[in-house]
Amino acid sequence: MLTLTHVAKTFYPGTANERQALRDINLELAPGDFVTIIGSNGAGKSTLLNVIGGSIPVDEGTVVIGGQDVTRQPEHRRARRIARVFQDPSAGTAPHLSIEQNLAVALSRGKRHTLTPGLTKARRVELRTHLATLEQGLESRMKHRVGLLSGGQRQALSLLMASFTHPDLLLLDEHVAALDPERTELVLRLTADMIAESGLTALMVTHNMEHALRLGNRLLMMHEGRILHSLGPAEKAGAQVGDLLEWFSREHALDDRTLLT
Amino acid sequence: MLGAIDQGLITAVLALGVFLTFRILNFADLTVDGSFTAGTATTAILIFNGAPPVLATLAGMLVGAAAGCVTGLLHTKAHIDPLLSSILVMLAMYTVNTRIMWGGADGQHRSTVGLLNKPTIFTWLVEARLRGTAVSIAFIGAIVVVAVVFVNWYLSTKFGLAVMATGDNPNMASSMGINTDLTKIATLAVANGLVGLSGALTAQYTGSASIGDGTGMILVGLASVILGNAVFGTRFIWLMTVGVVAGSALYRVAIFFALRWEFLDNADMKLMSAALVVIALVLTQSKSAHALVTKLTPWRAKAGVPEPMTVEPNPFSPFAEVDSAVQSAVEPRAERVRGVVRPGDDRGGRPMRPEAGTSVLTAPVVPPALTVPPADKGGE
Repeated sequence: MLTLTHVAKTFYPGTANERQALRDINLELAPGDFVTIIGSNGAGKSTLLNVIGGSIPVDEGTVVIGGQDVTRQPEHRRARRIARVFQDPSAGTAPHLSIEQNLAVALSRGKRHTLTPGLTKARRVELRTHLATLEQGLESRMKHRVGLLSGGQRQALSLLMASFTHPDLLLLDEHVAALDPERTELVLRLTADMIAESGLTALMVTHNMEHALRLGNRLLMMHEGRILHSLGPAEKAGAQVGDLLEWFSREHALDDRTLLT
Repeated sequence: MLGAIDQGLITAVLALGVFLTFRILNFADLTVDGSFTAGTATTAILIFNGAPPVLATLAGMLVGAAAGCVTGLLHTKAHIDPLLSSILVMLAMYTVNTRIMWGGADGQHRSTVGLLNKPTIFTWLVEARLRGTAVSIAFIGAIVVVAVVFVNWYLSTKFGLAVMATGDNPNMASSMGINTDLTKIATLAVANGLVGLSGALTAQYTGSASIGDGTGMILVGLASVILGNAVFGTRFIWLMTVGVVAGSALYRVAIFFALRWEFLDNADMKLMSAALVVIALVLTQSKSAHALVTKLTPWRAKAGVPEPMTVEPNPFSPFAEVDSAVQSAVEPRAERVRGVVRPGDDRGGRPMRPEAGTSVLTAPVVPPALTVPPADKGGE
């Protein structure tokens, strides 16, 4: 479903601030894979997602999605097949638009934005059904502005907007990091349910080792732009938080910059 | 007075364009000064050369739209800041407009084009001496209604939703597969097409066009948008567009009455426009002014949920002290209202209790006494 070959990205090349965010990344995802990515600050996790999503161009290497080379495709073209949820709850929604308008925008993913009505009766019914699956009571607040929702509600909405059109690939960039524990659990549960129900292929970046182990069938450990260790389904099922720490420390990847929980 | 409303309705078409760029696209577009003159100049010179008025009007609109297109291309493809790209086009349009005005059939270089005794779409009004009467207001009003319906239709389409998303959160828009370059360019073209149309109507209404027609028109448009949105509110798009039209008429009427004061001259209009915009902008930052206007316009608030302010309240506003005085005076009442404010409403202005009553995502409104403090937020 997703193939990265020799992907490299350097920020500010040739200056004192030069930083190699990704070094020779090779990754292959089968359809239905749910990969969690863990690593310290500056490991290149978010850069990896941005490179796949198309918001950052690569220096070297190729990105292939579903057999099509998208390396040179701009973000909005790739977005027809890739959906994203960001860390900041306000990043994935338009705050001044109503819930139904936001959902209608998401519903048009991968389709042409024509001059036909954006919200018809039929579309509203469809959106309401989708919204009801969140079990947040939002279906009775379709006309409310998204800016009026709480962070957890917004993130749940972002997740729905990312997944209900069944994208080829779902990218989750620390999407629960800004939420309190209670909402974290809720959004994680929704994430697992949605991915399982639609059989989505997904990549989830997290700082939380426990989340990384609990969700998904594969796990990647990143450090300084490299994939340190890749755990397959069998390996991951038996792994503990202690094992992850062990692997990191073996590569001297646990230093004062490491911020893991 | 009725003549002022005529003119107000003609500039309402321009204000609708400014509304699209400033409010919807969040793009500070100063092309307006150039595209307005493009409308007056193109239409006037074509009519001068004997073209049918309706065609000349459409041509004025198209030249305006083309100017908007160039601004959009400069911003999206050449990555020039919105303000700068529109100023560049505004400047460039000065030459373009001059050249257009030199396009008379007699080949003369002129900076004004007179349309005396030429047929315009307003000729029948002039001949029947109906300019500045209810009839002319109805005629121009009909054109404005078409423009308002068009803007509302445009924004209600799938493309329009994409435009609104682009203006509200460009990163989210492109992550949703929206080509934000296209939405920006198209909307700038549409907006400046409306501005060009307004210029085309102005030239025919006043019977002349000159190279300085557009100077300061951006302020007139902006004043109408701010005035209209402040009075009518921002709850629905249609309400905002109607407000923009009313704001434009209101603005012209205000200028009309101000000019009756002998001390003031026509030449003072630009200063007055600027002052009006400054006052409106400062007032919209004041919580008490917002509260007052909201009280006077009951349709804006719904079931105790106050309409969010269009701008964040400014603690350094000259009205900040007035605000706090007013606030402490009405505090007991505000307490009651606050209970109904939806959780997560971080735009309401007044700081809310940290998440009281919102420990569950569904957040039914629980009286504060019954809520358990949120669980320990440590950990991450």
